[in-house]
Amino acid sequence: MNNELSNPDIPVPSELQSAVTITSLDKIYNWGRRSSIWPMVFGLACCAIEMICTAASRFDIARFGMEVFRATPRQADLMIVSGTVTKKMVPQIVRLFNQMPEPKYVMAMGACASGGGPFKEGYNVVSGIDKFVPVDVYVPGCPPTPQALLHGLIKLQEKIDGQSLKSVRWYGQETSEAVPVPVLGPDLFDPRQHALLAQQAGQVKENSESVEE
Amino acid sequence: MYGTGILKGMGVTIRHLVDSFVDDMRFLGQRYYSDSSMNIRQGTEGRGVFTVQYPDEKLPVPEQFRFIPFLLYENNEDGSTTDRCTSCGICAKVCPPQCIWIERSSDPDTGRPIPEPTNFYIDIDICMNCGYCAEYCPFDAIKMDHDYELASYNRTEAHIFDKARLDKPVEYYASIRPTDYLAEETARAEVIAKKAAKKAAAAAKKAAKKAAAEAN
Repeated sequence: MNNELSNPDIPVPSELQSAVTITSLDKIYNWGRRSSIWPMVFGLACCAIEMICTAASRFDIARFGMEVFRATPRQADLMIVSGTVTKKMVPQIVRLFNQMPEPKYVMAMGACASGGGPFKEGYNVVSGIDKFVPVDVYVPGCPPTPQALLHGLIKLQEKIDGQSLKSVRWYGQETSEAVPVPVLGPDLFDPRQHALLAQQAGQVKENSESVEE
Repeated sequence: MYGTGILKGMGVTIRHLVDSFVDDMRFLGQRYYSDSSMNIRQGTEGRGVFTVQYPDEKLPVPEQFRFIPFLLYENNEDGSTTDRCTSCGICAKVCPPQCIWIERSSDPDTGRPIPEPTNFYIDIDICMNCGYCAEYCPFDAIKMDHDYELASYNRTEAHIFDKARLDKPVEYYASIRPTDYLAEETARAEVIAKKAAKKAAAAAKKAAKKAAAEAN
C-alpha cells in the first residue's frame, strides 16, 4: 500500500517509512474508489454466465474489492451491461442508470452490448448500449472469458486512477442531467432525437403534400 | 432416510475443500506465476479448486481457443513480407455478423485487380468469434487469435482493427496453434508434391511419345 500511494517527489526518512505515507488527496480518493467498485447485479444474456463465473471462487473479483454485487442501483458504482440489449429492455436499463448515484461507470461487456454483435441489424435489438448511456469500458468477445472481463475491470480501475477531484463531473458546478428514458413504441424512440425526428417527419409530410398537389 | 442426498452433496463440497488444501501443499512455493504448475493443476492431475490470480498468473488457453481473428503474412528471405490474403472476400461473405470489410486494390495503369488488400477492417465489437472466416479461407490467411486482453475506452477508434493491427507473422500462428499449423503445412506439401509428380509424369509421357515417333 505504501508504494501504491506514496508520492515519490517527497522522500520519507527510512525509519518512518513503515508508519508514514505522504500522498495526495486525489490518489487516496481514487485508491478508495478503485478498490471498492460495486457492480449492479443484473445480467441480460449469455455474457452474464461469464460474469457469474468471474464472481465465483475461481476468478474471484473479491480480489479487486468488487465482490459486493448490489441488487439496487442506489448502492452500485458500476453497471456491467452483460449481454444483448433488446429494445424492450433499454428503458429499464436507462432508468437503472439514472437511479445510480455518482460516481457511476458503465461497462459494455461482449459484442452485443458494445455494438449489437450478431444481432446488430435485428428488429428488436439495440446496436450498442452506448447509443443511450455513456460507456466507460468496452470489452470485446462473444462472450468475453472471465479473464477478459477482469482485464476490462482493471482497465476501469486505471481510468479511475487517472481522474482528479478538480475535474470530476460530480463535484462540478453544473447539475448532471438524467439520461432521457427511451420510449418503446412501434419502434424505439429516443427522446433526445425528438427535434430531429419532428423535423424529418415534417419534411416527409411536406413532400407527400407537394406530390398530392 | 431423508437428507442422505444433501449429505452426499455436501460431502462433494467438503472433498473439494480438503483437496484444495492438500493440492496447495503439494505445490507449495511453486504454484504462483509458473506455467508448468498451472498446466498440471488445470489438467486431469489437478485436485481441488483454486483461485486464478488473474493479472499475475493466467490460465493457459487451449490450442483451439478462438478470439478475434488476425491476418497472416509471410516473412521473405530478403526481409520483405507477403500477405497471404488475396482479398477474395470469402471471409466477408461467410461472416455471420458481417464484421469484416475489405478494401481491394487495382493496378493504376491497367485497372486490373491486384490480389492484395489495401486495407482490411474487422469490427471486434461485432465479431462473435465463430471462426467461420478461418475455416473458409482457401489461403489460410485469416486465423483465430488467442489474445483476449482487448478491452479499451473507445469503441470507434480502438475497436475497429485495421490491417496494421491485424497483421501477424506466420511464426506467431505456428507458436499458438502448432497442431493446425503442422497439418496445414503437410497438406500443402502434399499438394505441391502431387503437382510435381503429375508434371513429371506428363513430361515422361511426352518424351516417350516423342521417342516412339522418332523410332517410326
